[in-house]
Amino acid sequence: MSKYRVSITELKEEKYLVDALREMGYRPEVHPEAVPMNSYYSEQEAKRANIIIRRHELRGACGDIGFARQPDGRLTLIADELDAYHGYGEKWLGRVQQLYKEKQTLAMARARGYILKKREVIQTKEGQQVRLQFAVRR
Amino acid sequence: MQDQTITITIDEQGHSTLDLEGFAGRSCEKVFEDFRGGDRMKLERKKAAYYTGQQVQQEKSQR
Repeated sequence: MSKYRVSITELKEEKYLVDALREMGYRPEVHPEAVPMNSYYSEQEAKRANIIIRRHELRGACGDIGFARQPDGRLTLIADELDAYHGYGEKWLGRVQQLYKEKQTLAMARARGYILKKREVIQTKEGQQVRLQFAVRR
Repeated sequence: MQDQTITITIDEQGHSTLDLEGFAGRSCEKVFEDFRGGDRMKLERKKAAYYTGQQVQQEKSQR
């Protein structure tokens, strides 16, 4: 073993984010220009996002959940604060990041000629981990 | 020669760990770059084999 690196997943590529949300059972809307989201608090200024899951698909949620493109290229989560208590907080976002990262990794590996040898799902105290093992094409 | 294996572990907290086996020196950097995907690095550790590999490469280039 020679080296390892720990990284924090940044959501930047729309296609992998949309695929991740679809795998979670949602039908996200994709808008090149950000559009208003619906909120429980109608008096609030409408938030805008580029990728939106509408409230009717989010069991128990107060409002829509979206991801808005930032000037630095990241897609950041936009949601009602209350929805963090309805199952759409950090844990939910972590699951989105996990699926995003897996899809992105598989695509990058395929494009650069690495060979997928094994995919494992491991249960840990902190939750599920996905382990992907690649070999170098010789 | 040891097999070169890349293991990526992705957790539910938004972290991923990239672990390389059988790589040394600059070949590590290429793999890291190939799999980086715009992520923010949190931690990097070099292991003994990394330096051993570099030494071997240097010795070869001196010959």
